[in-house]
Amino acid sequence: MTRYIVRRLLQAVPLLFFISLLLFVMMQNMGDPLATMGGRTMTRSQDRARLTRQLGLDKPVIVQYFFWLIGNDWTKIDLDGDGIAESPGIRKGVLRGDFGYSLVNRKPAMEVILERLPNTLLLMVSAEVVVILGSLLLGIYAALRQYSLADNVVTTLSFIGYSMPIFFVALGLMYIFAVNFKAWGLPYLPTVGMFDPRVGKSVWQVAWHMILPIFTIAITSFAANSRYVRSTMLEAMGQDYIRTARSKGIPRRSIVFIHALKNASLPIITVVGLDLPFLLGGAVVTERIFAWPGMGRLFLDHVSRADTPVVMGILMLIAVAVIFFQIITDVLYAWLDPRIRYH
Amino acid sequence: MRRTFFYSMMAVLLVTSLLLTACQPAGGGGNKVVTFIFVQEPETLNVHYTNMYFSTILQQLWEPWAWEYDENNNPYPVLVAELPSVENGGISADGTVLTLKVRDDITWSDGEPVTADDFVFTWEMAIAPSNTVATTYPYSEAVSVVAQDPQTVVVTFAAPFAPWMYFFHGVLPKHVLQPVFDSEGTLDNAEWNNAPTVGNGPFVFAEWESGSFLRFVRNDNYWGEAPKVDEIFIRIVPDDASQIAALTSGEGDLGIFIAYPDIPTLEEAGLNTVKVFSGYNEGWYLNMGPDANPAMLDVNVRQALAYATDRFAITRDLLLDKTVPAATFWDGSPWMDPTLAPHPYDPAMANTLLDEAGWVDSNGDGTRDKDGVELVLRYIANDRQVRIDTMAVIKQQLAQVGIEVDLFNVDSDILFGSYGDDGPVATGNYDIAEWSDLPGGFPDPDTAYWLCSEIPSDESPQGSNWQFLCDQELNDLFVLQKTQVNFEDRVATFHQISRIMFEKVYFLGIWQDPDIWAVGSRLSGVKISGVTPFSNITEWDIP
Repeated sequence: MTRYIVRRLLQAVPLLFFISLLLFVMMQNMGDPLATMGGRTMTRSQDRARLTRQLGLDKPVIVQYFFWLIGNDWTKIDLDGDGIAESPGIRKGVLRGDFGYSLVNRKPAMEVILERLPNTLLLMVSAEVVVILGSLLLGIYAALRQYSLADNVVTTLSFIGYSMPIFFVALGLMYIFAVNFKAWGLPYLPTVGMFDPRVGKSVWQVAWHMILPIFTIAITSFAANSRYVRSTMLEAMGQDYIRTARSKGIPRRSIVFIHALKNASLPIITVVGLDLPFLLGGAVVTERIFAWPGMGRLFLDHVSRADTPVVMGILMLIAVAVIFFQIITDVLYAWLDPRIRYH
Repeated sequence: MRRTFFYSMMAVLLVTSLLLTACQPAGGGGNKVVTFIFVQEPETLNVHYTNMYFSTILQQLWEPWAWEYDENNNPYPVLVAELPSVENGGISADGTVLTLKVRDDITWSDGEPVTADDFVFTWEMAIAPSNTVATTYPYSEAVSVVAQDPQTVVVTFAAPFAPWMYFFHGVLPKHVLQPVFDSEGTLDNAEWNNAPTVGNGPFVFAEWESGSFLRFVRNDNYWGEAPKVDEIFIRIVPDDASQIAALTSGEGDLGIFIAYPDIPTLEEAGLNTVKVFSGYNEGWYLNMGPDANPAMLDVNVRQALAYATDRFAITRDLLLDKTVPAATFWDGSPWMDPTLAPHPYDPAMANTLLDEAGWVDSNGDGTRDKDGVELVLRYIANDRQVRIDTMAVIKQQLAQVGIEVDLFNVDSDILFGSYGDDGPVATGNYDIAEWSDLPGGFPDPDTAYWLCSEIPSDESPQGSNWQFLCDQELNDLFVLQKTQVNFEDRVATFHQISRIMFEKVYFLGIWQDPDIWAVGSRLSGVKISGVTPFSNITEWDIP
């Protein structure tokens, strides 16, 4: 197993280089970061020329990529525009932990990302827990009562949730439980943000503000996951070892949760394992609508500004997470099913 | 047993939800907090590093300008004792020297006095090659800025410089930032940019949580009238529909960039909506360069476009009669010739002009043509919904006079891409481009868009004259106005400019584009300026 993990890690290195090059080149075609500089009108021509030079955007793409990768502190750059490179570069490059500075706010790109990561993890992990627990609950319940009225109701509701666009669900929940409930004089939920400034930030305030975003994510995710649980549970419940367990008189709860669920969970772990790295990316639409300050919004905001350092930082973080969680998934697989061995 | 398990789980979820509901902390706390809803997050608080509206409008909270503007966009002195003029000796007779008298009773929030040295330092930082400021304008126009004494700043220009009021929008605290610049060689990464430890406005910066909120609290050392509220809380809500929900549910006291269709909803919820003129006019920029349809070079065709476009119907139907068609780039300001009015909708006149210009439908395909060239125009804008709707309506209107239009909508960063980046407008790959714009130093009227020297090319890829128009008479007037420090003389020049551009249809105004603000009913004393929106923030109050 150790050799397998080491081999997978070594294989990841060239893969990450290739991904980074591909993404960097793609980013150069995402628009002009100096076009408006966030303003409502275009940037002055003299300023655009100056900033293009100062920020190194006048260099060929491949040079910009190498500066991003290995830094430019070994060379000199032309800051004053006289055609002579006179000032030493200050970038250390990604390989030395420097992801560069955001073109939007001049802050270190990794600092910009790490400011948002906890918020995203808080929302996405909570939502994932709700989704997993809810899916297991619904999936197992539906599997144990196949073709019953309850099974059909659960299936219908989950597909309604699945087929609705997430922005519609989000805005629908917001207007019903926040705006209209307040108008009707009922207890209501907050619309946006993480806390009420008149109250102050607290654990309860944040939890209170998480209800609508979490349920928005959950409603649209229940269907696929619960159907998956249902089908794998149905398959497991029909196996010989379940019949044997029943004939031995093992309590039904033990049969379902120890024997059937453990075996049924193998494919589910694959699905969840694939989901986990993308939790880092946040929920773009949900974060935007509920004004949740997470990675999804950060990504969207900075892509629209062609902010290469921040966007590359987010994408590389996700790429690393995908590789990491794939290895974790493989290890979990072997732990759950001793027949599986990696060489 | 199975049923019991299911019901148990549901009960746990329900109880948890109820607990969360019941345990919501009580509101209050005694502080008067005004909540702004911003649809974009400010990029930085150092205004020299951004062009972003939401960054710049915050300055009146914590870092006032040398002079600010009232709700009618009239200037009044703030950090200086009086507005400089030729009469009071603040502007030299030849217009090349500007002398500012800094007030002697103003301090930074840490108690240090604001002096002429801070003004000089601001100029030095704006033009330092190691600082990647968003714009060096207008600071780069000054030959020198010196502190004659602690209260006197002397700005010298090589030639008379009329747009001097664009100076000193944000003065930097030298005693805080000089050591940073000395040690790092740049202010680019100064912590002060995003967490200013000192300011000189009625509020001081308190906290900024990225993507979530900014807080400003009352400045106890403020030298002016103390604000009536304790705190300004700025919540970032990027989605328009969510902004409306937050405002109608009372979670926000102030919102900006309200879309016209949302005005009735907000007013029904008890909010006031305020139209504020901030210099913007939506208009058409017409390509007269080598890659344009040859029809665009014909003034008759351009006039026909103006007559064939029913801008009155657009403002009435799409913009709910909340604004009116624009006649010029300077509508709503004294710089526009007041005798000008938008072209009336007159398709018959448009047909006559096109016929006279030789554009007729010779092949019976429904589109006019001339010398084998079809009158098909490429019409481009960004993907803002109101623009998409406008373009669809105009396409139908122009079809009625035999002009076919192909529509293109792209993201703003692509639309405004430079010539060097193959931007569609900058490279002349269009016939009509539409966006909302204002003179760069509004309320100053100066703009470089129609200067001959700004036509982009391989040698000058950053040029901003994307109309590829070089009208020497117009060019000379634009050059002249920039040197006219006498207000009346400059107004007269701009009246000439606006008339030439109107008659030759070098720019076609579509609608006047005021900002729409939503103000919560509990807020009082609010007067919003189009230039410095929060200039009377100290008078704002809530019960």
